[in-house]
Amino acid sequence: MGVEVTARTAELPAAGGDSGVIELRPGLHWLGKDRSKLRNFGYVNNVAEVDVLRSTHRSVFTAINPRALLFGHTASITCLSKASASSEKQYIVSASESGCLPASDTFRSDVGKAVENLIPPLLFSVLDRADKQLLICPPVTRFFYGRRECFHKLLIQGDSSGRLCIWSVPDTLELQDNTEGLQMTTSTSLQEAFCKLTPCPAGIIDQLSLIPNSNEPLKVTASVYIPAHGRLVCGREDGSIVIVPATQTAIVQLLQGEHMLRRGWPPHRNLRAHRNKVTCLLYPHQVSSRYDQRYLISGGVDFSVIIWDIFSGEMKHIFCVHGGEITQLLVPPENCSGRVQHCICSVASDHSVGLLSLREKKCIMLASRHLFPIQVIKWRPSDDYLVVGCSDGSVYVWQMDTGALDRCVMGITAVEILNACDEAVPAAVDSLSHPAVNLKQAMTRRSLAALKNMAHQKLQTLATNLLASEASDKGNLPKYSHNSLMVQAIKTNLTDPDIHVLFFDVEALIIQLLTEEASRPNTALISPENLQKASGSSDKGGSFLAGKRAAVLFQQVKETIKENIKEHLLDDEDEDEESMRQRREDSDPEYRSSKSKPLTLLEYNLTMDTAKLFMSCLHAWGLNEVLDDVCLDRLGMLKPHCSVSFGLLSRGGHMSLMLPGYNQSIGKPSYGSVEVERKMSITEGLGRGTYGVSRAVTTQHLLSIISLANTLMSMTNATFIGDHMKKGPIRPPRPGTPDLSKMKSSPPASSNAAQGQIKQGWSQLAAMHCVMLPDLLGLEKFRPPLLEMLARRWQDRCLEVREAAQALLLAELRRIEQAGRKETIDAWAPYLPQYIDSIISREYSPFILKLIWLKYMIKASV
Amino acid sequence: MVHSLCRFKEEEFKWLLQEEVHGVLRQLQDILKEASHRFALPVGSTEGPVKQENFMLGTSSADQVKGVLMLQGDALCQAFSNGVVIYDLRLPPVEIRFKVKNWLNQYCSKCPHSAVSVDGSVGDGMYGFEGDINLKIPRNNQLLHFTFREDKQWKLQQIQDARNHVNQAIYLLTNRDVNYQFKTGSEVLKLMDAVMLQLTRARNRLTTPASLTLPEIASSGLTKMFTPALPSDILVNFYINLNKLCLTVYQLHALQPNSTKNFRPTGGSILHNPGAMFECGSQRYEVSHVHKVECVVPWLNDALVFFTVSLQLCQQLKDKISVFSSYD
Repeated sequence: MGVEVTARTAELPAAGGDSGVIELRPGLHWLGKDRSKLRNFGYVNNVAEVDVLRSTHRSVFTAINPRALLFGHTASITCLSKASASSEKQYIVSASESGCLPASDTFRSDVGKAVENLIPPLLFSVLDRADKQLLICPPVTRFFYGRRECFHKLLIQGDSSGRLCIWSVPDTLELQDNTEGLQMTTSTSLQEAFCKLTPCPAGIIDQLSLIPNSNEPLKVTASVYIPAHGRLVCGREDGSIVIVPATQTAIVQLLQGEHMLRRGWPPHRNLRAHRNKVTCLLYPHQVSSRYDQRYLISGGVDFSVIIWDIFSGEMKHIFCVHGGEITQLLVPPENCSGRVQHCICSVASDHSVGLLSLREKKCIMLASRHLFPIQVIKWRPSDDYLVVGCSDGSVYVWQMDTGALDRCVMGITAVEILNACDEAVPAAVDSLSHPAVNLKQAMTRRSLAALKNMAHQKLQTLATNLLASEASDKGNLPKYSHNSLMVQAIKTNLTDPDIHVLFFDVEALIIQLLTEEASRPNTALISPENLQKASGSSDKGGSFLAGKRAAVLFQQVKETIKENIKEHLLDDEDEDEESMRQRREDSDPEYRSSKSKPLTLLEYNLTMDTAKLFMSCLHAWGLNEVLDDVCLDRLGMLKPHCSVSFGLLSRGGHMSLMLPGYNQSIGKPSYGSVEVERKMSITEGLGRGTYGVSRAVTTQHLLSIISLANTLMSMTNATFIGDHMKKGPIRPPRPGTPDLSKMKSSPPASSNAAQGQIKQGWSQLAAMHCVMLPDLLGLEKFRPPLLEMLARRWQDRCLEVREAAQALLLAELRRIEQAGRKETIDAWAPYLPQYIDSIISREYSPFILKLIWLKYMIKASV
Repeated sequence: MVHSLCRFKEEEFKWLLQEEVHGVLRQLQDILKEASHRFALPVGSTEGPVKQENFMLGTSSADQVKGVLMLQGDALCQAFSNGVVIYDLRLPPVEIRFKVKNWLNQYCSKCPHSAVSVDGSVGDGMYGFEGDINLKIPRNNQLLHFTFREDKQWKLQQIQDARNHVNQAIYLLTNRDVNYQFKTGSEVLKLMDAVMLQLTRARNRLTTPASLTLPEIASSGLTKMFTPALPSDILVNFYINLNKLCLTVYQLHALQPNSTKNFRPTGGSILHNPGAMFECGSQRYEVSHVHKVECVVPWLNDALVFFTVSLQLCQQLKDKISVFSSYD
């Protein structure tokens, strides 16, 4: 765009000058022949603005009076700002590509005055970068007026090494004699913040990746989480792939306990075949159930793609079809031809795309004529086309069946082809998201069945949309998920190891806990039918869940239509899946055998482990010593090594994570010795820190810990210590193993007295977080929960969350007292219906407030 | 064994950074300068007269629209050739001949109930421009003849932009002269990314013409470029698509304010279809006929090939560098 400006300004007549400055018309100035470059300036706030895109110039032309050219930069100028508040004295800050920042000031008394009265501009000072390390791109510089005091001027610069520098520009205009220039006020970088951390931030499988004679563990280069088994699969830079229980390994990294002494804990499996870095992992069964449950696919730097059997740990096949590092593994959409449906799509850095058949164990198509890196892969299943978009904008259309290149186009046609794929794919794959398209198709085909189907789908879409809007508040997936724990790998840089974010779904966790509790007495009567049905504890439970949810539903006298739709739809879906699976199991003997075969790692109780990890991270340790002891000894929770970094998901799907350094205020002089600071950060970190971060974080954390504590309280034997942790309660014993007796013996071990103590422990824990936390922490370190978030959960679909939200809301209303309640009502009054005002004006009781919140909520949901 | 392998790799990487990169940069500069010359072709040499190229758009007899366009460089270009130069693609004089073949008749038969009467007087009112063109007898073939105004020039923004982007790419390449030592691979990648960005933009500018709405075409400066002035019911648009210079002519029909026709303004598009409607200054129009003619400009084809070749060179260099960056 900037270039176009150049073209336009060039229409103006120009004359050369020795100084290189020519003024042409207001707003447009050129530097002349000796610099031989055309520049464009515009006025913003009466200060010359430099067009950054084409800044090849090292001087600033001031548009204010007197017009003058300011020299001093050694590289192109990237930032220019007016930096004086008064109109008496003008003061320009400019920054250049090299990072050197001359702050020049110009003086002027009045715009209208004669030119000779004016003092020429002077170079005030030059700010230079402290370290001269090579940057790959020019730093970004911005000028701000600080908030702390009036006319507090800050110049902030960020560069590609992750460093942030702040200069405080003095307000005084006296010329400084010293040639050093302005001193940098603060300089910090993410790298420094990470390096300062003790203990070092842990990688998810660091304890398994130690290299002898090295401080750095083996880097994890790719990972995939298999929620059905609770297993995390990590590919490492030495080519090995580790399969490890996710909760166990997270507990090792985050929490203190006896596991710290064990070597090689948690139990894991190593898959070795890649000769170099593993770049991508895919578990196709997770994306689509048409794939075999056993198959895990990995791609590496050694150009190979390998099929693994995760149950037996053996390598099934190795594909060596690509001529470059594998960069991506994808799953073709549902409605491809039968042959393609059992393929996975691999993309390599030699710009080739392969369709690798898992069933035939061969590559059925290799598209390798692309000249530029592959940017996007799209599908036209109806035409049997694979559409490859390259980084230069060209599009290649391949026939999947024959492997022939159908066409290669560029420009506007290429864009159209890609867009056409976008329209076609969602309509075909996910009929819910594009009802209009489908309706049109149904109309053109004049099929009554299709139309009927469409009407049903429309209703479903409506329902899913309703649900999505509700569920996204919680930052969850739009649909109810069966997985209480998700592990997502994130890479910030290609050379960095993967970092892993653990997502806990409190609602799913509660339902799973209750499901297991409900099924517990049944374990005594194991019949063959039950065995079959109960296999695979976490992904099967559909009927239990539906039952539980229905129970929750009927307890409530009043329910919104929204929830009714949801219940109905979810039940439907579960049934379908159930029957489909049943049919499949009957027909496909191989499928059945693969299904009943468990992972031969150590068995453990995924749900309880997840709860243990979650509760241990959330508990505010170090506030009540008696309670801490109860938690450790009786409830089996574990103390974290250091403060756990939490994040928050927003409605729009954005995630914010806390990074090191968030709790150290920048620019504050460091007090005391390093030792003291370190101690402080450790004690502070244990749970306390997170309640002072933000109100939204506090709300989520308190809701989670209270609702979970209440759930655990209602269960029998709900402690994280003991034999029952080793094994899932409803996981069937394999025939011919002596495990059965051991498992059966565990539940009766706990006596009634112990049960009572455990329940008391959970109740104390809930009470502390619900009521006592503000007093214990003090108001500086505690950010109170958000009332509106709690009010929205007042009628949450999960009973336990609902109860927790109600308790918390009442506690918070009590805490803020009359004055706070009045303030809240005043803030919300404009949004409330009129007739309620007359009631509440008399008395601000928590009950009335509750009513108002309900009113608000109903309004919001309608 | 492994150690020596690493050393060889290091050596090779060094060679790549010190020798190969500069070789590719030189090659790129040569190609792009050549491409840049293609754009400057109409400027001609300093000694000779300014060269002109004539392009006939719509050569077949079936075409209802014919245009003779002249691409002409001018003196202003030469004066600025030392710096960033605006490239002028000028089209004086342009002749657009519309062969109007019974079209009013067709139109009237299409909507017999419309408020427009089929009288010759209406035709007069609708096409009442002066000059040698007379539309009073719509049944016969008539020629509307327009030329570009002598006092104005029309520049094709697409070609200007492409040229500017190429020059920017050349500038980026010359910024690192032969003596410059590349120290890291990422530095080279960064440079290549910047060059490729400019080249992609240059190429995209030629391959993807702007999609304009009809009011935008109507209000563009191009409509005021003609003598005699274009009648209000004719719109003209020029653009470059790949290596072709395209001319579209829209014949419009003014919708009556109280027309029962469902008015729905159309969005932006490169080529509007008959039936597209728009509003311009409180008057609503509908496109009744669309004529499109095009003509291949050989040097644009060359330029596109040069862009593609240099983009490939850049990509190859990037690929070579990234082989090493994945190891160290």
